Amino acid sequence: MSLVKRPSSAASWYLPGILAGMAFTFRKMIFNLFHQKKMLTLNYPEEQYQYSARFKGNHVLTVKKDGSIRCTACMLCATNCPAQCIKITAAESEDPSVEKYPIAYEIDVLRCVYCGFCEEACPVDAIRMGPEWQTAALNGSKFAYDIQQLAYRPQLRGGVVSVLDEDERHHAGI
Amino acid sequence: MPRITINGKTVEVKEGSTIIQAFKESGQDICHYCWHPGLSVAGVCRLCMVQIEGMPRLQIACNTEVKDGMVVNNTSDTVKETVRWGLDFHLINHPLDCPICDQAGECGLQDQYMKFGSYDPEMAEKKVKKHKVVDLGPTVVLDSERCILCSRCVRFTDEVSKTHELGIFNRGDRSEIGTVEGKPLDNKYSLNTVDICPVGALTSKDFRFRQRVWYLKEGDTICSGCSTGCNVKVHFNEEGVWRVKPVYNKEVNGHWMCDEGRDTYKHVNLKVRMQAAQVGQSGAWQLIEPAEALRQVGPKIRDLAKTGKSDKISLLITGQYTNEEYESLFKMAKELKISKAYHWFNKAKDKDNFDGILLRGDRNPNTHGLLDAAKAHGIQLGSLEQFSSGASGAEMAIVAGPEDFAHFPELESILKAAAGAKLLVWLSSGVPNGLSEVSCETFAIPTKTYIEKMGSFTNHAGLKQCFKVATTIVPQALNLSEICELIQGRELNWALRPKAVGGAKANYAIAEQGAL
Repeated sequence: MSLVKRPSSAASWYLPGILAGMAFTFRKMIFNLFHQKKMLTLNYPEEQYQYSARFKGNHVLTVKKDGSIRCTACMLCATNCPAQCIKITAAESEDPSVEKYPIAYEIDVLRCVYCGFCEEACPVDAIRMGPEWQTAALNGSKFAYDIQQLAYRPQLRGGVVSVLDEDERHHAGI
Repeated sequence: MPRITINGKTVEVKEGSTIIQAFKESGQDICHYCWHPGLSVAGVCRLCMVQIEGMPRLQIACNTEVKDGMVVNNTSDTVKETVRWGLDFHLINHPLDCPICDQAGECGLQDQYMKFGSYDPEMAEKKVKKHKVVDLGPTVVLDSERCILCSRCVRFTDEVSKTHELGIFNRGDRSEIGTVEGKPLDNKYSLNTVDICPVGALTSKDFRFRQRVWYLKEGDTICSGCSTGCNVKVHFNEEGVWRVKPVYNKEVNGHWMCDEGRDTYKHVNLKVRMQAAQVGQSGAWQLIEPAEALRQVGPKIRDLAKTGKSDKISLLITGQYTNEEYESLFKMAKELKISKAYHWFNKAKDKDNFDGILLRGDRNPNTHGLLDAAKAHGIQLGSLEQFSSGASGAEMAIVAGPEDFAHFPELESILKAAAGAKLLVWLSSGVPNGLSEVSCETFAIPTKTYIEKMGSFTNHAGLKQCFKVATTIVPQALNLSEICELIQGRELNWALRPKAVGGAKANYAIAEQGAL
């Protein structure tokens, strides 16, 4: 549907409109000068807004209690991904209690649509979408997040521990 | 022929067949694990329960012979209930680790549960833990926890391979499949146990964790590993071919294929293929389109033929091409009056070897077809030794070389001998080892492999089997018929050529820019 808006005769009287706009701007400016705490804007990037934990931002790969990666390379996230941005290479683990693990896990965040389907598909709470939202980088190659970036980036302070623990499951007889 | 009514549908089956076979013939669903059409009846899973009119209790369909006038059903509530709780018993100790199990997606247990199970589990006990990742032999890995003890693999080693390596050890819920110490599962047919395993207990070391099966597509073709010509399907995706599995054909291979045949996907993948024609000599190579290379070399061959020097051209042919390709090759030979044709028969000494099941010593899919075609065109094929001795000093050698280098140990020496000619036209799907050292003028042209072309192979018994294109790995590669057309100066219809399958998806910006 397209709307055609014909210029009305009132629009030719532009000066009152400009003056009204300027009045609003200056009123806000003077108000903000004297009430700086009530200001709605942030001084980005010195000040940053914290989204809630439920925000679907940058992906986090969780880790086990010993710090190794939780992911079992089942590829359900990659199968479920509508943007096909997840690429996993599975390998056999040296650790006898771990059968399969991702030797490479790559998310192309430029392709990602942040839908959260990967999080929903994961049977072991290995991938989450965190509250981080800044994805700025200098170069295209920086947008392919690998395991190091997804699980051990400095912001995560050593990694987020998964809620699902294999040892507990074994003890429970599952 | 007894007539039997299955779920209200009357079918006529062979004398002596079982109810489960009648079910399969009439195309009706029946839950089963341990029964396999190629093996004996064990009757251990107790899932193929059917109600037979006139019998007080349910019977297993796999071990009950069909009698005339039988009325059978497996849709009554009693049967459904029995199958459902039978499944529950099978899943008591099954770890349900489908996400990391390689069988997921093609698993009998998953399929049957969705079809016949779908219950709420009522088991409160802990699961019995068993051995995981047990190395059974050079090709197979066992996960005992996933095993439901259908004994198909044990019966396979007893009845088909007759090597008796596998057995069931311990009792009750501690039962496990295993091998005796010092006798691993190591026979030429061991990977069939992986195929027939209805769960993910037996996995192939070669395929384990490489791909999830739902990413793979299937294409039917004929195995090119030996002259038996087993019917197979190749599993592939855009990254290449990942495995080969047998397809049932009563007359050729039954339900099985050998382990060596399963390796025939390795020489078709992009890494080991020649991807463009190599033109030049000793190190100074030019990579060009195969068709362009043939447009350059075609006139040279035709000129030789025109000036009456056709007898200076020698043609060396392997048994790795289809009947249709031989047909056009010999037609070309006749047109250009090439009379010197030689048969490159690799491992000719072992050609009559046969292991009693499937694998034959003649490791070419179409030796029979080559000999037939040569006979039909009245061309006398010389031996490999005659070629080696006669090639040096010849004007030109055209070598329709091998596809699967693994079975051609003499490859390098033949290449060296062929390079004795003034001009060498080398046709093969891969790049042979000594190619860069060839000193004469060379045109190396990539050819298609058996999964990329259509045609027919004639097996050892003279049975002609046709196959279609499964997928395209190297779109520039040409088959022998196309090469012959181009050599004779005729063009192909390029609009009909296969297009490249898109490779793994890569972000354009990342691929182009790279790191800072």
